[in-house]
Amino acid sequence: MTSGSSLTPVNVLTGFLGSGKTTLLQRLLRSRRMERTAVLINEFGDIGLDHLLVQQVDESVLLLQSGCICCSIRDDLKSALRGLLSRRERHEIPAFDRVVIETTGLADPGPILYTLLSEPVIRHHFQLGNVITTVDVVNADLHLSRNREGIKQVAAADRLVLTKSDLAEPGQTAALRDELARLNPSARLWDAAEDPVDVDFLLDVMPYGRQPGPARHRLEGGDLGRRRGMAAKPAAVGGLRRHTDSVSSFSLILDRPMDWTAFGIWLSLLLNRHGDDVLRVKGILCVEGTETPVFINGVQHIVHPPQHLERWPTEDYRSRIVFITRGIDQGRLRRSLEAFCRLRVAELSAA
Amino acid sequence: MCGLCGIFLTESHWTDAALAASGSGGRTRRHERLHRVALANRILKRYGLKLTDWQGSAYLLGSQTGQTAIVPSVAAVWPAAERLRRQSIDPLDERLIEALEEN
Repeated sequence: MTSGSSLTPVNVLTGFLGSGKTTLLQRLLRSRRMERTAVLINEFGDIGLDHLLVQQVDESVLLLQSGCICCSIRDDLKSALRGLLSRRERHEIPAFDRVVIETTGLADPGPILYTLLSEPVIRHHFQLGNVITTVDVVNADLHLSRNREGIKQVAAADRLVLTKSDLAEPGQTAALRDELARLNPSARLWDAAEDPVDVDFLLDVMPYGRQPGPARHRLEGGDLGRRRGMAAKPAAVGGLRRHTDSVSSFSLILDRPMDWTAFGIWLSLLLNRHGDDVLRVKGILCVEGTETPVFINGVQHIVHPPQHLERWPTEDYRSRIVFITRGIDQGRLRRSLEAFCRLRVAELSAA
Repeated sequence: MCGLCGIFLTESHWTDAALAASGSGGRTRRHERLHRVALANRILKRYGLKLTDWQGSAYLLGSQTGQTAIVPSVAAVWPAAERLRRQSIDPLDERLIEALEEN
Protein backbone atom coordinates (compact mmCIF):
# COMPACT_ATOMS: atom_id res chain seq x y z
CA MET A 1 0.00 0.00 0.00
CA THR A 2 1.24 3.41 -0.84
CA SER A 3 1.91 6.21 1.56
CA GLY A 4 2.59 9.94 1.32
CA SER A 5 5.46 10.66 -1.05
CA SER A 6 7.04 13.20 -3.37
CA LEU A 7 4.46 12.55 -6.06
CA THR A 8 2.92 15.73 -7.43
CA PRO A 9 -0.66 16.06 -6.20
CA VAL A 10 -3.40 16.49 -8.76
CA ASN A 11 -6.69 18.04 -7.71
CA VAL A 12 -9.79 17.63 -9.82
CA LEU A 13 -12.20 20.57 -9.77
CA THR A 14 -15.58 19.63 -11.12
CA GLY A 15 -19.16 20.81 -10.91
CA PHE A 16 -22.03 21.57 -13.17
CA LEU A 17 -22.12 24.25 -15.85
CA GLY A 18 -22.22 27.68 -14.27
CA SER A 19 -21.72 26.37 -10.77
CA GLY A 20 -18.67 28.55 -10.16
CA LYS A 21 -15.71 26.29 -10.86
CA THR A 22 -13.66 28.98 -12.56
CA THR A 23 -14.54 31.59 -9.96
CA LEU A 24 -13.35 29.22 -7.25
CA LEU A 25 -10.21 28.46 -9.24
CA GLN A 26 -9.49 32.15 -9.60
CA ARG A 27 -9.83 32.63 -5.85
CA LEU A 28 -7.56 29.69 -5.16
CA LEU A 29 -4.92 30.88 -7.62
CA ARG A 30 -4.67 34.22 -5.81
CA SER A 31 -3.18 32.41 -2.84
CA ARG A 32 0.61 32.38 -2.61
CA ARG A 33 0.33 28.70 -1.81
CA MET A 34 -0.85 28.20 -5.38
CA GLU A 35 2.03 29.99 -7.12
CA ARG A 36 3.63 26.77 -8.26
CA THR A 37 0.45 25.27 -9.65
CA ALA A 38 -0.11 24.08 -13.19
CA VAL A 39 -3.69 24.32 -14.36
CA LEU A 40 -5.34 22.14 -16.97
CA ILE A 41 -8.61 23.52 -18.14
CA ASN A 42 -11.17 22.32 -20.54
CA GLU A 43 -12.80 24.32 -23.24
CA PHE A 44 -16.39 23.48 -23.89
CA GLY A 45 -18.24 25.06 -26.76
CA ASP A 46 -17.05 27.80 -29.05
CA ILE A 47 -15.75 30.31 -26.57
CA GLY A 48 -12.79 29.43 -24.41
CA LEU A 49 -14.00 31.73 -21.68
CA ASP A 50 -12.53 29.57 -18.96
CA HIS A 51 -9.17 29.74 -20.63
CA LEU A 52 -9.23 33.52 -20.83
CA LEU A 53 -10.05 33.77 -17.16
CA VAL A 54 -7.15 31.74 -15.98
CA GLN A 55 -4.56 33.09 -18.38
CA GLN A 56 -2.60 34.44 -15.43
CA VAL A 57 -0.98 31.09 -14.80
CA ASP A 58 0.61 31.58 -18.18
CA GLU A 59 2.87 28.82 -19.40
CA SER A 60 1.54 26.35 -16.95
CA VAL A 61 -1.87 26.53 -18.54
CA LEU A 62 -2.71 24.01 -21.17
CA LEU A 63 -5.99 24.13 -22.98
CA LEU A 64 -7.35 20.73 -23.76
CA GLN A 65 -8.85 20.84 -27.20
CA SER A 66 -11.58 18.27 -27.11
CA GLY A 67 -15.01 19.02 -25.76
CA CYS A 68 -15.25 16.64 -22.86
CA ILE A 69 -12.36 15.62 -20.70
CA CYS A 70 -13.89 12.42 -19.48
CA CYS A 71 -14.92 10.52 -22.58
CA SER A 72 -13.34 11.72 -25.72
CA ILE A 73 -10.08 13.13 -24.54
CA ARG A 74 -8.77 10.85 -21.90
CA ASP A 75 -5.77 10.50 -24.15
CA ASP A 76 -5.53 14.28 -24.18
CA LEU A 77 -5.46 14.33 -20.42
CA LYS A 78 -2.78 11.69 -20.44
CA SER A 79 -0.81 13.61 -23.05
CA ALA A 80 -1.28 16.88 -21.19
CA LEU A 81 0.01 15.47 -17.91
CA ARG A 82 2.88 13.67 -19.59
CA GLY A 83 3.68 16.86 -21.47
CA LEU A 84 3.74 18.88 -18.27
CA LEU A 85 6.04 16.34 -16.72
CA SER A 86 8.38 16.31 -19.68
CA ARG A 87 8.52 20.08 -19.97
CA ARG A 88 9.14 20.44 -16.24
CA GLU A 89 12.04 18.02 -16.40
CA ARG A 90 13.53 19.89 -19.36
CA HIS A 91 13.06 23.18 -17.51
CA GLU A 92 10.94 24.54 -20.33
CA ILE A 93 8.28 25.65 -17.86
CA PRO A 94 8.55 26.87 -14.30
CA ALA A 95 8.70 24.10 -11.77
CA PHE A 96 5.29 23.25 -10.36
CA ASP A 97 4.38 21.21 -7.35
CA ARG A 98 0.65 20.83 -7.93
CA VAL A 99 -1.74 20.36 -10.81
CA VAL A 100 -5.37 21.40 -10.82
CA ILE A 101 -7.67 19.98 -13.49
CA GLU A 102 -10.85 21.92 -14.10
CA THR A 103 -13.33 19.66 -15.85
CA THR A 104 -16.26 20.58 -18.00
CA GLY A 105 -19.62 20.84 -16.35
CA LEU A 106 -20.76 17.70 -18.09
CA ALA A 107 -17.77 15.60 -17.13
CA ASP A 108 -18.17 12.22 -15.53
CA PRO A 109 -15.31 12.29 -13.02
CA GLY A 110 -14.79 8.53 -13.16
CA PRO A 111 -12.68 8.31 -16.31
CA ILE A 112 -10.58 11.24 -15.18
CA LEU A 113 -9.76 9.51 -11.93
CA TYR A 114 -9.16 6.31 -13.83
CA THR A 115 -6.61 8.02 -16.04
CA LEU A 116 -4.82 9.47 -13.04
CA LEU A 117 -4.73 6.20 -11.16
CA SER A 118 -4.06 3.74 -13.91
CA GLU A 119 -1.88 5.29 -16.62
CA PRO A 120 1.58 3.84 -15.97
CA VAL A 121 3.66 7.01 -16.32
CA ILE A 122 1.15 9.29 -14.64
CA ARG A 123 0.63 7.09 -11.61
CA HIS A 124 4.35 7.04 -10.94
CA HIS A 125 4.69 10.82 -10.98
CA PHE A 126 1.35 12.15 -9.84
CA GLN A 127 -0.92 11.46 -6.91
CA LEU A 128 -4.62 12.12 -6.86
CA GLY A 129 -5.53 14.76 -4.29
CA ASN A 130 -8.91 15.97 -3.20
CA VAL A 131 -11.74 16.06 -5.68
CA ILE A 132 -13.63 19.34 -5.30
CA THR A 133 -17.16 19.69 -6.61
CA THR A 134 -18.95 23.02 -6.81
CA VAL A 135 -22.70 23.02 -6.29
CA ASP A 136 -24.75 26.07 -7.18
CA VAL A 137 -27.27 26.48 -4.38
CA VAL A 138 -29.78 28.35 -6.51
CA ASN A 139 -29.75 25.86 -9.38
CA ALA A 140 -28.83 22.61 -7.62
CA ASP A 141 -32.29 21.18 -8.19
CA LEU A 142 -31.96 21.74 -11.92
CA HIS A 143 -28.40 20.45 -12.11
CA LEU A 144 -28.99 17.28 -10.17
CA SER A 145 -32.22 16.46 -11.96
CA ARG A 146 -31.16 16.96 -15.55
CA ASN A 147 -28.00 14.96 -15.69
CA ARG A 148 -26.68 11.85 -14.04
CA GLU A 149 -23.22 13.37 -14.09
CA GLY A 150 -24.35 15.87 -11.47
CA ILE A 151 -24.95 13.08 -8.97
CA LYS A 152 -21.67 11.40 -9.93
CA GLN A 153 -19.80 14.66 -9.38
CA VAL A 154 -21.30 15.01 -5.91
CA ALA A 155 -20.60 11.38 -5.06
CA ALA A 156 -16.96 11.60 -6.21
CA ALA A 157 -16.26 14.72 -4.13
CA ASP A 158 -13.97 14.96 -1.14
CA ARG A 159 -14.99 18.60 -0.83
CA LEU A 160 -18.38 20.03 -1.75
CA VAL A 161 -18.28 23.75 -2.35
CA LEU A 162 -21.58 25.59 -2.09
CA THR A 163 -21.75 28.56 -4.42
CA LYS A 164 -24.21 31.44 -4.80
CA SER A 165 -25.66 30.86 -1.35
CA ASP A 166 -25.83 34.66 -1.03
CA LEU A 167 -28.40 34.62 -3.85
CA ALA A 168 -30.47 31.77 -2.45
CA GLU A 169 -33.95 31.87 -1.01
CA PRO A 170 -34.26 31.56 2.78
CA GLY A 171 -33.89 27.93 3.75
CA GLN A 172 -32.55 26.88 0.37
CA THR A 173 -28.95 26.56 1.54
CA ALA A 174 -29.84 24.60 4.65
CA ALA A 175 -31.99 22.22 2.61
CA LEU A 176 -29.21 21.65 0.13
CA ARG A 177 -26.70 21.07 2.90
CA ASP A 178 -28.97 18.37 4.30
CA GLU A 179 -29.38 16.75 0.94
CA LEU A 180 -25.67 16.82 0.12
CA ALA A 181 -24.90 15.34 3.54
CA ARG A 182 -27.34 12.57 2.72
CA LEU A 183 -25.88 11.97 -0.73
CA ASN A 184 -22.23 12.09 0.25
CA PRO A 185 -21.66 11.94 3.99
CA SER A 186 -17.93 11.46 3.51
CA ALA A 187 -17.41 14.87 1.89
CA ARG A 188 -16.83 18.09 3.80
CA LEU A 189 -18.82 21.19 2.94
CA TRP A 190 -17.44 24.67 2.30
CA ASP A 191 -19.55 27.73 1.51
CA ALA A 192 -17.83 29.91 -1.08
CA ALA A 193 -20.01 32.91 -0.29
CA GLU A 194 -19.33 32.86 3.45
CA ASP A 195 -16.02 31.20 4.14
CA PRO A 196 -12.57 32.61 3.36
CA VAL A 197 -10.50 30.60 0.93
CA ASP A 198 -8.66 27.85 2.75
CA VAL A 199 -6.28 26.13 0.37
CA ASP A 200 -5.26 23.55 2.94
CA PHE A 201 -8.82 22.55 3.61
CA LEU A 202 -9.93 22.46 0.02
CA LEU A 203 -6.92 20.87 -1.62
CA ASP A 204 -4.58 19.32 0.86
CA VAL A 205 -6.10 18.03 4.03
CA MET A 206 -7.32 14.61 3.19
CA PRO A 207 -9.22 12.19 5.38
CA TYR A 208 -7.37 10.91 8.40
CA GLY A 209 -4.15 12.76 7.82
CA ARG A 210 -3.32 11.48 4.36
CA GLN A 211 -1.20 14.11 2.71
CA PRO A 212 -0.11 14.58 -0.84
CA GLY A 213 3.49 15.70 -1.06
CA PRO A 214 5.53 16.54 2.05
CA ALA A 215 3.89 15.22 5.16
CA ARG A 216 2.03 17.68 7.31
CA HIS A 217 0.30 15.96 10.11
CA ARG A 218 -3.04 17.64 10.19
CA LEU A 219 -5.72 15.21 11.05
CA GLU A 220 -9.15 15.55 9.65
CA GLY A 221 -11.43 13.58 11.84
CA GLY A 222 -15.07 12.77 11.68
CA ASP A 223 -15.53 12.19 8.00
CA LEU A 224 -16.85 8.74 8.51
CA GLY A 225 -17.19 8.22 12.23
CA ARG A 226 -19.82 10.86 12.78
CA ARG A 227 -22.01 9.57 10.02
CA ARG A 228 -23.23 6.34 11.44
CA GLY A 229 -26.81 5.70 10.48
CA MET A 230 -27.11 8.64 8.14
CA ALA A 231 -30.70 9.63 7.81
CA ALA A 232 -32.29 11.91 5.28
CA LYS A 233 -34.41 14.89 6.22
CA PRO A 234 -37.15 14.60 3.68
CA ALA A 235 -39.34 17.42 4.93
CA ALA A 236 -36.66 20.04 4.55
CA VAL A 237 -35.48 19.26 1.07
CA GLY A 238 -38.59 19.40 -1.02
CA GLY A 239 -38.22 19.05 -4.77
CA LEU A 240 -34.56 18.09 -4.78
CA ARG A 241 -35.30 14.74 -3.20
CA ARG A 242 -37.47 13.70 -6.12
CA HIS A 243 -34.39 13.58 -8.31
CA THR A 244 -32.01 11.93 -5.89
CA ASP A 245 -34.25 9.43 -4.16
CA SER A 246 -32.69 6.49 -5.96
CA VAL A 247 -29.31 7.45 -4.52
CA SER A 248 -28.66 6.57 -0.92
CA SER A 249 -25.68 6.62 1.37
CA PHE A 250 -25.07 4.53 4.40
CA SER A 251 -22.20 3.47 6.56
CA LEU A 252 -21.33 -0.03 7.62
CA ILE A 253 -19.45 -0.63 10.82
CA LEU A 254 -17.81 -3.99 11.35
CA ASP A 255 -16.71 -5.05 14.78
CA ARG A 256 -14.18 -7.69 13.81
CA PRO A 257 -10.86 -7.08 12.09
CA MET A 258 -11.18 -8.17 8.51
CA ASP A 259 -9.06 -10.26 6.19
CA TRP A 260 -7.84 -7.88 3.48
CA THR A 261 -7.91 -10.63 0.89
CA ALA A 262 -11.50 -11.55 1.65
CA PHE A 263 -12.49 -7.90 1.49
CA GLY A 264 -10.69 -7.49 -1.83
CA ILE A 265 -12.49 -10.47 -3.29
CA TRP A 266 -15.83 -9.19 -2.09
CA LEU A 267 -15.34 -5.59 -3.26
CA SER A 268 -13.92 -6.58 -6.64
CA LEU A 269 -16.87 -8.91 -7.14
CA LEU A 270 -19.32 -6.21 -6.07
CA LEU A 271 -17.80 -3.62 -8.40
CA ASN A 272 -17.70 -6.07 -11.29
CA ARG A 273 -21.43 -6.60 -11.07
CA HIS A 274 -22.68 -3.32 -9.58
CA GLY A 275 -19.90 -0.81 -10.20
CA ASP A 276 -22.15 1.54 -12.14
CA ASP A 277 -24.42 1.80 -9.11
CA VAL A 278 -21.73 1.98 -6.44
CA LEU A 279 -21.04 5.66 -6.84
CA ARG A 280 -18.58 5.82 -3.98
CA VAL A 281 -16.90 3.61 -1.41
CA LYS A 282 -14.82 5.28 1.24
CA GLY A 283 -13.69 4.07 4.59
CA ILE A 284 -11.11 2.94 7.05
CA LEU A 285 -10.58 -0.73 7.68
CA CYS A 286 -9.31 -2.61 10.66
CA VAL A 287 -7.23 -5.24 8.88
CA GLU A 288 -5.90 -8.36 10.52
CA GLY A 289 -2.17 -8.20 11.02
CA THR A 290 -1.94 -4.41 11.05
CA GLU A 291 -2.21 -2.09 14.02
CA THR A 292 -3.09 1.02 12.02
CA PRO A 293 -6.09 1.43 9.74
CA VAL A 294 -6.15 1.05 6.00
CA PHE A 295 -7.88 3.79 4.03
CA ILE A 296 -9.89 2.79 0.98
CA ASN A 297 -11.47 5.11 -1.55
CA GLY A 298 -13.29 4.17 -4.72
CA VAL A 299 -15.47 5.81 -7.34
CA GLN A 300 -17.61 3.39 -9.31
CA HIS A 301 -15.25 0.78 -10.81
CA ILE A 302 -12.15 2.71 -9.81
CA VAL A 303 -10.41 2.02 -6.52
CA HIS A 304 -7.52 4.15 -5.32
CA PRO A 305 -4.43 2.34 -4.08
CA PRO A 306 -5.25 1.58 -0.44
CA GLN A 307 -3.17 3.48 2.08
CA HIS A 308 -1.90 2.61 5.52
CA LEU A 309 -2.64 5.48 7.86
CA GLU A 310 -0.28 6.41 10.63
CA ARG A 311 -2.85 6.15 13.37
CA TRP A 312 -6.52 5.74 14.14
CA PRO A 313 -8.45 9.01 14.16
CA THR A 314 -10.35 8.09 17.33
CA GLU A 315 -10.36 5.38 19.97
CA ASP A 316 -12.87 3.49 17.87
CA TYR A 317 -10.87 0.81 16.08
CA ARG A 318 -13.67 -0.72 14.07
CA SER A 319 -13.91 -0.74 10.29
CA ARG A 320 -16.17 1.99 8.95
CA ILE A 321 -17.18 2.14 5.32
CA VAL A 322 -19.45 4.68 3.65
CA PHE A 323 -21.27 3.61 0.52
CA ILE A 324 -23.09 5.89 -1.90
CA THR A 325 -25.22 3.67 -4.07
CA ARG A 326 -28.06 3.75 -6.52
CA GLY A 327 -30.76 1.15 -6.09
CA ILE A 328 -28.76 -1.23 -3.91
CA ASP A 329 -30.32 -2.67 -0.81
CA GLN A 330 -28.30 -1.71 2.25
CA GLY A 331 -29.27 -4.76 4.27
CA ARG A 332 -28.32 -7.16 1.55
CA LEU A 333 -25.00 -5.42 0.98
CA ARG A 334 -24.16 -5.76 4.67
CA ARG A 335 -25.16 -9.42 4.76
CA SER A 336 -23.07 -10.08 1.69
CA LEU A 337 -19.96 -8.45 3.15
CA GLU A 338 -20.40 -10.19 6.48
CA ALA A 339 -20.93 -13.53 4.75
CA PHE A 340 -17.70 -13.13 2.82
CA CYS A 341 -15.86 -12.21 6.01
CA ARG A 342 -17.32 -15.24 7.81
CA LEU A 343 -16.28 -17.40 4.92
CA ARG A 344 -12.73 -16.56 5.75
CA VAL A 345 -13.23 -17.20 9.47
CA ALA A 346 -14.78 -20.57 8.73
CA GLU A 347 -11.84 -21.49 6.54
CA LEU A 348 -9.37 -20.71 9.27
CA SER A 349 -11.38 -22.64 11.81
CA ALA A 350 -11.46 -25.64 9.52
CA ALA A 351 -7.71 -25.37 9.03
CA MET B 1 6.40 -8.76 -21.05
CA CYS B 2 7.85 -12.05 -19.94
CA GLY B 3 10.38 -13.16 -22.55
CA LEU B 4 9.73 -16.84 -21.96
CA CYS B 5 5.99 -17.07 -22.13
CA GLY B 6 4.93 -13.88 -23.85
CA ILE B 7 2.60 -12.82 -21.07
CA PHE B 8 2.33 -9.15 -20.28
CA LEU B 9 3.22 -8.47 -16.70
CA THR B 10 0.70 -5.97 -15.49
CA GLU B 11 0.88 -3.21 -12.93
CA SER B 12 -0.15 -4.31 -9.49
CA HIS B 13 -3.86 -4.19 -8.80
CA TRP B 14 -5.33 -2.56 -5.73
CA THR B 15 -6.23 -5.98 -4.36
CA ASP B 16 -2.51 -6.80 -4.38
CA ALA B 17 -1.74 -3.81 -2.21
CA ALA B 18 -1.43 -5.76 1.02
CA LEU B 19 1.44 -7.71 -0.49
CA ALA B 20 3.60 -4.62 -0.38
CA ALA B 21 3.00 -4.02 3.28
CA SER B 22 3.00 -5.87 6.51
CA GLY B 23 -0.70 -6.45 6.33
CA SER B 24 -2.77 -9.39 5.30
CA GLY B 25 -1.85 -11.34 8.40
CA GLY B 26 1.86 -11.09 7.67
CA ARG B 27 1.62 -13.64 4.88
CA THR B 28 4.37 -13.96 2.33
CA ARG B 29 3.58 -13.09 -1.26
CA ARG B 30 3.26 -16.72 -2.26
CA HIS B 31 1.17 -17.57 0.77
CA GLU B 32 -1.03 -14.59 0.08
CA ARG B 33 -1.63 -15.67 -3.50
CA LEU B 34 -2.53 -19.16 -2.39
CA HIS B 35 -4.83 -17.74 0.25
CA ARG B 36 -6.48 -15.56 -2.36
CA VAL B 37 -6.94 -18.49 -4.70
CA ALA B 38 -8.44 -20.58 -1.89
CA LEU B 39 -10.92 -17.86 -0.97
CA ALA B 40 -11.90 -17.16 -4.56
CA ASN B 41 -12.47 -20.86 -5.11
CA ARG B 42 -14.98 -20.90 -2.26
CA ILE B 43 -17.11 -18.75 -4.53
CA LEU B 44 -16.11 -20.11 -7.91
CA LYS B 45 -16.81 -23.76 -7.06
CA ARG B 46 -20.49 -22.86 -6.82
CA TYR B 47 -20.33 -22.02 -10.48
CA GLY B 48 -18.32 -25.03 -11.59
CA LEU B 49 -15.09 -23.08 -11.93
CA LYS B 50 -11.65 -23.39 -10.41
CA LEU B 51 -8.84 -20.91 -10.04
CA THR B 52 -5.14 -21.75 -9.77
CA ASP B 53 -2.04 -19.66 -9.43
CA TRP B 54 -0.16 -19.38 -12.71
CA GLN B 55 3.57 -18.97 -12.29
CA GLY B 56 3.12 -16.47 -9.50
CA SER B 57 2.26 -13.76 -11.97
CA ALA B 58 -1.28 -14.50 -13.13
CA TYR B 59 -4.21 -16.80 -12.46
CA LEU B 60 -5.61 -19.63 -14.52
CA LEU B 61 -9.36 -19.97 -14.47
CA GLY B 62 -10.81 -23.26 -15.67
CA SER B 63 -14.25 -24.73 -16.15
CA GLN B 64 -15.40 -28.32 -15.81
CA THR B 65 -15.65 -28.52 -19.59
CA GLY B 66 -12.00 -27.62 -20.06
CA GLN B 67 -12.39 -23.98 -20.99
CA THR B 68 -9.65 -21.82 -19.55
CA ALA B 69 -8.73 -18.16 -19.22
CA ILE B 70 -5.59 -16.49 -17.91
CA VAL B 71 -6.26 -13.37 -15.89
CA PRO B 72 -3.83 -10.90 -14.28
CA SER B 73 -5.66 -10.09 -11.04
CA VAL B 74 -8.49 -11.22 -8.83
CA ALA B 75 -10.63 -8.38 -10.17
CA ALA B 76 -10.23 -9.80 -13.67
CA VAL B 77 -11.37 -13.23 -12.49
CA TRP B 78 -15.03 -12.26 -12.22
CA PRO B 79 -15.71 -10.98 -15.75
CA ALA B 80 -13.75 -13.96 -17.10
CA ALA B 81 -15.78 -16.34 -14.94
CA GLU B 82 -19.02 -14.79 -16.16
CA ARG B 83 -17.88 -15.22 -19.75
CA LEU B 84 -16.99 -18.86 -19.23
CA ARG B 85 -20.23 -19.61 -17.40
CA ARG B 86 -22.38 -17.24 -19.42
CA GLN B 87 -24.10 -16.14 -16.26
CA SER B 88 -23.62 -13.37 -13.76
CA ILE B 89 -21.87 -13.89 -10.45
CA ASP B 90 -23.54 -11.50 -8.09
CA PRO B 91 -22.35 -11.08 -4.50
CA LEU B 92 -25.78 -9.67 -3.70
CA ASP B 93 -27.53 -12.79 -5.03
CA GLU B 94 -29.75 -13.97 -2.19
CA ARG B 95 -28.97 -17.62 -2.90
CA LEU B 96 -25.23 -17.02 -2.77
CA ILE B 97 -25.51 -15.04 0.45
CA GLU B 98 -27.66 -17.72 2.07
CA ALA B 99 -25.27 -20.45 0.97
CA LEU B 100 -22.32 -18.56 2.45
CA GLU B 101 -24.25 -17.84 5.64
CA GLU B 102 -25.00 -21.53 6.05
CA ASN B 103 -21.30 -22.24 6.02
